[in-house]
Amino acid sequence: MEDRERKHVNFQRLISEESCSSTLSDESCEYYQTEIFDQLPSSLHHRRQRGGSHGSEGGRFSQPLKALPISLREKRNTREHQNLQRVNIGFWESWRQSQQKGCRRIREQMGMVLSGMLPWRRTFHKIEGKFGVGVKAYFVFLRYLLFLNLLHFIIIAGTVLIPTVLYDKNVSEDYPRTNENDSVLNIFLGSGFVERSPVFYGFYKRGSLALTCLNTPILFLLGIACILILSLFMVVRRTVVGFKHTWLTENRYSSNVSYKVFCGWDFCIQDPQTALLKHSFIRNELKMDLEEQKFQQKVSQRSLGQWVRLVFLRVILNFIVLVLLTGSFCMIYYATEYSQIQLTELHWILSLLRGYLPSITITIANFVLPHIFNKIAAFEDYSLSVQLNLTLIRSIFLKLSSLGIYLFFVYTVRDKQCWENKFGMEMYRLFIFDFLACFFFAFFLVYPRARLVEKNPTSKFARIVGKQKFMIPFNVLDLVYSQTITWVGLFYCPLLPGMSVLKLLFIFYIKKFTVLRCCAPASRMFRTSSSSVLFHFMLLLSLLLSIVTLINNIVQFEPGTCGPFKGDKTVFNVTSACVNSLSDPARNAINYLTSEAFAFTLILAEIIILTSCVSRGQANRHAIERLKDMLVMCSSDKRFLVKQHSTWLRRQRRTQTSVRSPGIREGTYFTQWNETSEPLSVPMGESS
Amino acid sequence: MGTTASQLPKELLSEYQELTFLTKQEILLAHKRFSELAGKEDRHHPNPRVPMSKILMLPELKSNPFRERICQVFSTSDVKDGSLSFEDFLDLLSAFSDSATLEIKSHYAFRIFDFDDDGTLDSSDLEKLVNCLTGDTDDTRLTAEEMRQLISNILEESDIDKDGTVNLSEFQHVISRSPDFVSSFKIVL
Repeated sequence: MEDRERKHVNFQRLISEESCSSTLSDESCEYYQTEIFDQLPSSLHHRRQRGGSHGSEGGRFSQPLKALPISLREKRNTREHQNLQRVNIGFWESWRQSQQKGCRRIREQMGMVLSGMLPWRRTFHKIEGKFGVGVKAYFVFLRYLLFLNLLHFIIIAGTVLIPTVLYDKNVSEDYPRTNENDSVLNIFLGSGFVERSPVFYGFYKRGSLALTCLNTPILFLLGIACILILSLFMVVRRTVVGFKHTWLTENRYSSNVSYKVFCGWDFCIQDPQTALLKHSFIRNELKMDLEEQKFQQKVSQRSLGQWVRLVFLRVILNFIVLVLLTGSFCMIYYATEYSQIQLTELHWILSLLRGYLPSITITIANFVLPHIFNKIAAFEDYSLSVQLNLTLIRSIFLKLSSLGIYLFFVYTVRDKQCWENKFGMEMYRLFIFDFLACFFFAFFLVYPRARLVEKNPTSKFARIVGKQKFMIPFNVLDLVYSQTITWVGLFYCPLLPGMSVLKLLFIFYIKKFTVLRCCAPASRMFRTSSSSVLFHFMLLLSLLLSIVTLINNIVQFEPGTCGPFKGDKTVFNVTSACVNSLSDPARNAINYLTSEAFAFTLILAEIIILTSCVSRGQANRHAIERLKDMLVMCSSDKRFLVKQHSTWLRRQRRTQTSVRSPGIREGTYFTQWNETSEPLSVPMGESS
Repeated sequence: MGTTASQLPKELLSEYQELTFLTKQEILLAHKRFSELAGKEDRHHPNPRVPMSKILMLPELKSNPFRERICQVFSTSDVKDGSLSFEDFLDLLSAFSDSATLEIKSHYAFRIFDFDDDGTLDSSDLEKLVNCLTGDTDDTRLTAEEMRQLISNILEESDIDKDGTVNLSEFQHVISRSPDFVSSFKIVL
């Protein structure tokens, strides 16, 4: 049944395409448009809306005047008209409308003030003008992370820092501020006076604030839990919003040409050079799409031998990728192991290097391997977008799993006095080194390269190397990596979010300098929407990784000999002590909320809600399909009737004027339609 | 330069603020730029029009392939020469401003892309549009075969009622599915 319907629709469409490509119908198109299309109810309605003279529709008043697509003069007329009408309507109604107007104005003012408070708008504008929207998306993402970290820092300050400062006066006396062994080096290593400072977990102790339900450990736990839940909520929300958009455009993602054509031009571009680039970019993308279409055809025609060869090649290449990944994991393992062995008296440079060995290894692996993956993907004979995604997925996997492996090994060699501090220190080093790497990469690699290319642009070197391209996905990966470190280290190094705010601030200016001063616009630009979904998806992955790590860590290991949880069997001892001190009904309620029975009900409820959502979605999709088909039917019916009408009109006019010469052409046209329209041909014949 | 603020009466300024998506600063800046363009000879004219050739010299429009169409769409001139009065100029900036709605932006985008002003995008409009996008010289244009394939792809996708042209509602349907549009359809002075 459905199949037949579809065939029918295709048939209709075929007619329309044929008839529109012929010059004959073009001519008649113009003809009947002037005659009857203007009188159709729908176009009358449309014209009434555009003319703006009939402002009596209800929707008119609720829409601000500036949101009407008409020129200023017409807006003014419309407003006068509205004012006139306002005199006619009652006092109450006009008061309500003016109230609405006032509210809207206040809302707009608020929005403007708020958006004015967002920093760096001018910079964004400049970057957008020179590099397009894609690069701006990176900086917007950076700003988002900055605010996220600021929020984290405020929570930490409120729940952990301020109570500690207020109630634990003796803490500062316990720890001497400086020591004779301390040096600047400690800032980089996170040892010495930095280890004793509030940066690390060990600093916080049960102080004088020691109620059963309000003490330092509980506040500490509360702060961390707040941050994790809040960031989970925010990241999921942003991912879902973006995902909805891509899901809507996803439909035919690989060949969404009309999107590229209608929304292709970036009107922000001012630089003629960038405009030229954009032209060539759009051209390349359109050509690539057409080629991809051909590629798909080629894929469907591949012979068995070719398939076998290709699969063989892909297996080998994937094996190479796997070997590379394993190799880098092994290197990280050995580096970690080596850096954990206590060695006596080394030169300070060596000890610094040894402390940083795992960080250096991870950073180098993360820097080199994505480029190799990029090269490998080119041999696999996938379509271009698949290649890009494949490289990205492999790089994400590398980044997150190298971090994961590192965490795992750090746990296994955990036999220290205060292992929490040691763990926090590792995170601290990763964090600092990541920043140093970014700094050195910008000023000792990218900048000299740009200078060299600028100084003698004709030399062979300059032509081969060229300027650095700003690769958005890899830069975003770096940001995500740094955020993961912050989340994982949060529990053991509570000041990481605060440091992260500073770091992101510096990174912003470094990257701005790199982009504006040293980079050439990339020849491949990225679509904002899809890439920002990817950014947030990566962020979500990294957040999940850190939450799993943290929870595993907290549940599995006994707290060490320092910090707020010293002496407890598990971290959650403090909460159970608090719950036990509550009154009976409250305790029972909490016990029920944490029991399996409640979890089961929750899961059941979720399943029911999900099922109803899914079925509603399916029903909507069916309805959309049916409506589309109906639209096609209606429009072809309309065209058919209008054509009949116009031929009839012509015929009538011809009999009136009795001119015979153009009759042959119109006659053939009429008979052509006569064949397809038997039921209507009888009255037509009578009229002639 | 300090006189520019006094040239715009206060009530006019607040009226513009109400009828466009622009802020006070943006309107003042627009006025300053517009009077610079208008030059000395027209300063005493109550409602000067700036010819299209001068508007096209603005750096914000200079490298835009649709600049002439933009002028024509926003011009209220009776002779259809694409010249803009100050209010037309404000209309232009309002439609391209940060806070304009998707509805407005897509409406004007449609009119800009509708090269022959007949209310629908037919295949000749689409061909001109694609040529504007890829650059309109012999070596940057797509080949005839590619163009044909491309246009049939576009119509296949967005021509919902299959009448061989893309009308405003079909166009807005495509635009509404592309979240980047609002951020890229933007000209800020």
